[in-house]
Amino acid sequence: MNYPFWDVPLIGSGWVIGGIAIFHMMIALFAVGGGFYLVLAERKALREDHRDWLQVLKGHSKFFLILTGVFGTVSGVGIWFAIGLANPEATSALIHNFVFGWAMEWVFFIIELTTAAVYYYTWGRISDELHLKVGWLYAAASFFTLVIINGILAFMLTPGDAWLAVAGTGQESSRFWQAFFNPTYWPNLVIRCLICASLAGVWALVTCSRIDGVRKPELKTSLVRWSAQWLLPTFVLLPVAFVWYLWTVPESQRALLQLGISTIGSGMFTQVTRAVLIVGLTSAVIVAVTYAFAWRSPREFNVGQALTVVLLALIATASGEYTRETLRKPYVIGRYMFSNGVRIATVDKLNVEGYLTHSVWTRQGNDVKLAQGEAMFRGQCLACHTTDGYRSMKRLLGERNREAIANLLKLLHDYKPDSPYRAYMPRLAGTKDEVAALGDYLATLNPPVVPAKEATKTAQR
Amino acid sequence: MKSLLLSAYSWADERLGLEELVEFARHKTVPVHSQAFWYYWGGLSLFFFLIQFATGVLLLLYYRPGPDAYDSVRQITFDTNFGWLVRSVHSWAANLMIVAIFVHMFSVFFMKAYRKPREFGWWSGVALLGLAMVFGFSGYLLPMDDLAYFATKVGMEISNLLPVLGPKLADLVRGGPDVSEYTVHRFFALHVVVLPAVFLPVLGFHLWLVQRHGNALPPSEETRPAALRKNETFFPDFMVKDFAMWLVAFNILSVLAFMFPWDLGPQADPLKPAPLGIHPEWYFMSQFQVLKIFGDWFPGTLGEVLGMAVFTAGGILWFLIPLYDNTQEAGRRARRATWFGLFTLMALIVTTIWGYLAL
Repeated sequence: MNYPFWDVPLIGSGWVIGGIAIFHMMIALFAVGGGFYLVLAERKALREDHRDWLQVLKGHSKFFLILTGVFGTVSGVGIWFAIGLANPEATSALIHNFVFGWAMEWVFFIIELTTAAVYYYTWGRISDELHLKVGWLYAAASFFTLVIINGILAFMLTPGDAWLAVAGTGQESSRFWQAFFNPTYWPNLVIRCLICASLAGVWALVTCSRIDGVRKPELKTSLVRWSAQWLLPTFVLLPVAFVWYLWTVPESQRALLQLGISTIGSGMFTQVTRAVLIVGLTSAVIVAVTYAFAWRSPREFNVGQALTVVLLALIATASGEYTRETLRKPYVIGRYMFSNGVRIATVDKLNVEGYLTHSVWTRQGNDVKLAQGEAMFRGQCLACHTTDGYRSMKRLLGERNREAIANLLKLLHDYKPDSPYRAYMPRLAGTKDEVAALGDYLATLNPPVVPAKEATKTAQR
Repeated sequence: MKSLLLSAYSWADERLGLEELVEFARHKTVPVHSQAFWYYWGGLSLFFFLIQFATGVLLLLYYRPGPDAYDSVRQITFDTNFGWLVRSVHSWAANLMIVAIFVHMFSVFFMKAYRKPREFGWWSGVALLGLAMVFGFSGYLLPMDDLAYFATKVGMEISNLLPVLGPKLADLVRGGPDVSEYTVHRFFALHVVVLPAVFLPVLGFHLWLVQRHGNALPPSEETRPAALRKNETFFPDFMVKDFAMWLVAFNILSVLAFMFPWDLGPQADPLKPAPLGIHPEWYFMSQFQVLKIFGDWFPGTLGEVLGMAVFTAGGILWFLIPLYDNTQEAGRRARRATWFGLFTLMALIVTTIWGYLAL
């Protein structure tokens, strides 16, 4: 509407965010859990006089500093670039509502990055007590970055009635805290903390796998087993936390999962449900595999096995993030803004005045009607669909003719309460002419198959 | 309860000699070294085969070969409860099985595990790969959607190129001059009766040989003094890890089958033109591309016949490696075999990628 559209062929803009976000989550959650791991391991080593642990922990803190300080921060900035391009309206809404939230977040980021570097470079240079304090400072700062970002991310699914009551009035920031501590804030925070702990264990296993088990069997056994324990709380508590989370999500979002469960036999409408099942399966497999490789044979535990656990953690994180994103459909900010950036409150106005008249970046082509249709497609469909690749319109429209496309668009435009599309697709906004132009454009994506005889007749005419 | 279980066990033991098996498993060991990761791939191939067997039987309950083939697969995919999942698992596991067998074969090759006394293990293993590929080729046609139909048509034209016998053989397999419902019947019989009947005994023989000779040591490990080598028990140590790898494989298979369900294209219509860029499955891509390259270099069918000859000669050399690289020392000849293995691997990868780029 107010911004240009970002057309990413084949994978769609959503997957650009998704790809960067999944990579980022693997590191960012490690940055929080790993801080506690380092400081607790160091405390244990000092208390129980495992001086040989400290050498390994120093190596681990170097790996930690590089992974979080370089790859974590770069991918974090990458998310900002990607969301700014893919969904500028929602990004703008988040910046405006949470301006002080972001300010706090960046303060903690700076403390986090600084202390991570200080922690690594002061091994053996300052007293053990002071070094431990630096570690605690890091752990606390990184934990607060999670505390804050969690409020903003949970807000996107459940902004809460208090904030929605003032949304669009210019008074949104007056409800900052209600929006921040929104209905899904606490279960979300608990789930993230659990994942932080298990990722701390998963990444620590990579470092531990490199200890020479032949020359230092006791050191390797003790560290591998201690690190493996970090995976256990998540496995036990995550299902409970997930049920709590489901309890707090809006009824419409729960319905999406229920729809998935009731129709899983046919495989329709089950994308989110399937992703949830993958998260459950993978979490169980991670624990079983860690038991088999690390706990049972700590001395023989090798890098390949550790990376296998990392791969599984990546699958679980990716499926979890996918679930979180998909569960929010059809909104990008629950009950306030559709996933294509259209504010729900403006739909009636756009239906009368026109969607395109309010889109300042649309271009006019030679065939005006088709150009209008394409602009409608870019504005309202491109956030989730591509023409040829992910959620391909060519594939989804299949053999629908112009009339069938018109019927489908009418369903999306009318958005009746019993329409199944309401569960995951935004309402189509625009005047009758604009909807017709979109239909014309969509009909050109799959040229109708003309039987040979018909084609000859047409040519003779 | 415990005594009841024990007496049941001793009852069975007296009749079946279970204690001998337990003794055998207790004494069997598996080497532990830096390359031990590759030992899991044979087990992974077996795991995918078992999945294929189980899901294949389930698909058999609903699949109807012949003129109804497409309709029955459509029914499995869209109407039957969990049919989409079973079919998707069957298709993905087929591909993963061939990946696992390829990895297993190359790891055996580079570890020189085909040398005396394991020659028959190598030969039966290569035969199993060949059979798995024919499994793949015959299974691909069964849904009779347009991709399956046209890819099989192209595939059958390749066997047409074989001198003298080629056209006759192609007609025999197709059940006529063209791919039709008769071809589906023949491929079905091949897929569910003939191939399993051949595959299972060869697999049994292969597994028996593995038990008989144990895991081979790579040449680098063989040169180390025996006192420095490490072993772990097969039962339970190696087996627990083996099952853990099966779990990982199951997890990856679940992600693929759940999140990327296997598609079903439109019904095959012989009167329609072939869709653009029709090509065989990835594991035939290398052969397909080599034929194309030779076809471009030489006029007429000469190029393709030469291409076939090159591939067949390479395959025979590969198959017979235990006969001409049979020394036990990790010397010059061993290095020559490694170069041959690397060349083969690179040639397969390069021609496969080239094939996809040239579509």
